[in-house]
Amino acid sequence: MASTQTHYRTRRVYDIKSSAGRRELRLSDRVVELGEREFQWYQHVAQWLPSVKGVAELSHELGMDEAKVPKFIEALEKSGLLYRLDDLPKTMTGLEFHARFSSVLNSWLSEAFAHPFWERMMSGKGSARLFTGWLIELYHYTKNANRHMPLSAAHAHEKPIKQLRAKHYAEEWNHFHYFMKSLKELGFSEPQIAESVPLPMTLALSNFMRQAAREDILAYSICSAVLEGTTTDRRTYNPYYEKCAELYGVPKEAIAPIYAHLDLDVKYQHSDLFRDILQHVPEMSAERASKVLDYGHQLVEHIWLWTDNIEKYYQVESNPVPRRPFDIRVD
Amino acid sequence: MQTESSTASSAAPTIKDLPLLRRSASVLRENGQVAIRHLRDEVTLDGAAAQLFSKAEPYLDGKTTIEAAAAKLDEKPARLRALLERLEKVGVIGFLSAQSDGAAMTGLEFHKLHREHCNHWLQDVYRHPLWEKIVSGRASRAQVLGFAFEKYHYIEAAFEHMGIAAANATPEMMPHLARHFIEEYTHGDIYRKGLRSLFPDDVILRSQPLPSTRALVNYLNESAQRSSFSYYSGNELLQMTENEEGGAAGAVNEFYAAMRKHYPYTEKLIDAFIAHTNADQNLGHANAFLLMCQSVPPLTLREVNDALNVARNMAEHLLLFMDGIDIFYANFATVPRMPCDPLSE
Repeated sequence: MASTQTHYRTRRVYDIKSSAGRRELRLSDRVVELGEREFQWYQHVAQWLPSVKGVAELSHELGMDEAKVPKFIEALEKSGLLYRLDDLPKTMTGLEFHARFSSVLNSWLSEAFAHPFWERMMSGKGSARLFTGWLIELYHYTKNANRHMPLSAAHAHEKPIKQLRAKHYAEEWNHFHYFMKSLKELGFSEPQIAESVPLPMTLALSNFMRQAAREDILAYSICSAVLEGTTTDRRTYNPYYEKCAELYGVPKEAIAPIYAHLDLDVKYQHSDLFRDILQHVPEMSAERASKVLDYGHQLVEHIWLWTDNIEKYYQVESNPVPRRPFDIRVD
Repeated sequence: MQTESSTASSAAPTIKDLPLLRRSASVLRENGQVAIRHLRDEVTLDGAAAQLFSKAEPYLDGKTTIEAAAAKLDEKPARLRALLERLEKVGVIGFLSAQSDGAAMTGLEFHKLHREHCNHWLQDVYRHPLWEKIVSGRASRAQVLGFAFEKYHYIEAAFEHMGIAAANATPEMMPHLARHFIEEYTHGDIYRKGLRSLFPDDVILRSQPLPSTRALVNYLNESAQRSSFSYYSGNELLQMTENEEGGAAGAVNEFYAAMRKHYPYTEKLIDAFIAHTNADQNLGHANAFLLMCQSVPPLTLREVNDALNVARNMAEHLLLFMDGIDIFYANFATVPRMPCDPLSE
């Protein structure tokens, strides 16, 4: 059974719902229903797989005869909750990789935006202060594109990919002005915003993008694709802005520059950029494909924690807005 | 209660003017007294001094001269100056006219200032709710094991930030940073040994840190690449949580005892935590930053601000590190966090 632990892994479960003694586990391509007892067993197996515990301990935890454990694990594999490492493709083309990425992107985005902040804002339990804070951090995040986009062009080696990354940068580098316009409509002065400091998690996003840019151009490009994936469709973002304007008295003039920015992203078709880049990748090893996917998913987790950081800071009335740098002369 | 604190003692001998009540000072009024608090210091004024301060407070904006403020208050400038200079000594007032971007202070003066501010910035870290959750046994398995994994990832990252710092160091900082790297790069293995009591070695090595842990490490990396002195100013804040008298070190035994009681499966992990703390303390790292500060040339105002901004940001990143373990593992309870592959998603 030691080989079971090295041969099987768990698939990511994006959501678990319970109803009438059953659990619905949502994967990217299916929903698996388990009874309460089977769900408890599944949880024990999922914890046991990456552990040093032996099969006897698992059998004890499951309350199941040791001889029956392999059959249960096979049943979990058939349901799609587990997979065998042997089934991993050894190589794939760039476009095959893109198809795989596209098939999970919606699940990733639902995870990234599962933070309760969004529901809070849409239900009227947020505030103008939270909306403003989020906008200030968006300004910094967009301005910080200048810290990672040119770095990605510098670290790309193949000419067509360098070209695509450079073009993307040329089209995006000054988009922070749109957020500056919005913030000025909310009553801030340009120096107040330009001299302010981002939250640690806002800075972390651009530092992570810099890390990806140095590591592998495809690792960087998948992160960029996840971020662009959030702005492909007006239907996904319009309701948020419109509701915030209505609930928190945000003037239309402060929203207009944000729409202008999002429309520009759609016009440039930046959401297609990742596929355009992958067209130039004839083959990816399983190791490289795994690493690139992993960067994409880490970016998803960054977005979730970024949202958390924004909510935590800006909901405290006594925290300065915008955040000022420390200055020994005045602090 | 009152400490002498001069933040610009090496500045050019210009006349002190343009008084400013420090942004981080808080003013409390009660029974005719005025208490002004800044970092750990507090000064209390009463009687005529309290009245004069209250009248003058609106003009302590760093833009109004003492002469002009006194005229508006119908006071003698000398009397107002005497009060403000007294308040400057306890650190609650600064004079903006006395500062230039020349040499602002020596390394040793910076060391004292750094310590005062870092002790203040670390208070939120020491008060983080995760400590209480673990001590009381209310933390989940994922949070407790997650805490061990994230500490491992952070310590293991000495390879990254200490390596980058040594490779980009100024001549004065290089010997210190080289020694620090050589003494610390194996410390991740101490934690890995503890984790091996629960997880196979290859699982530990492949596991992924939380974004918040990655944020802390990347901030160290980026600072190390940009300025070796500012980097260490930030790293020193992290070191202070292990080495500082009265810091986390004071409560550390109680914390580990409670952890052993509520989470018996963490026995070997705690042994590793303690082994690491002992290893750090035996290396005498408590004095490392003092030695660095003794080595560097006088610092400009810009360098002082940069190094203190990195330290303050590091405190915020450390708080984020704690938040990540607390919040992320509560919402996404999978531990260890294994990397993706084309079938996992």
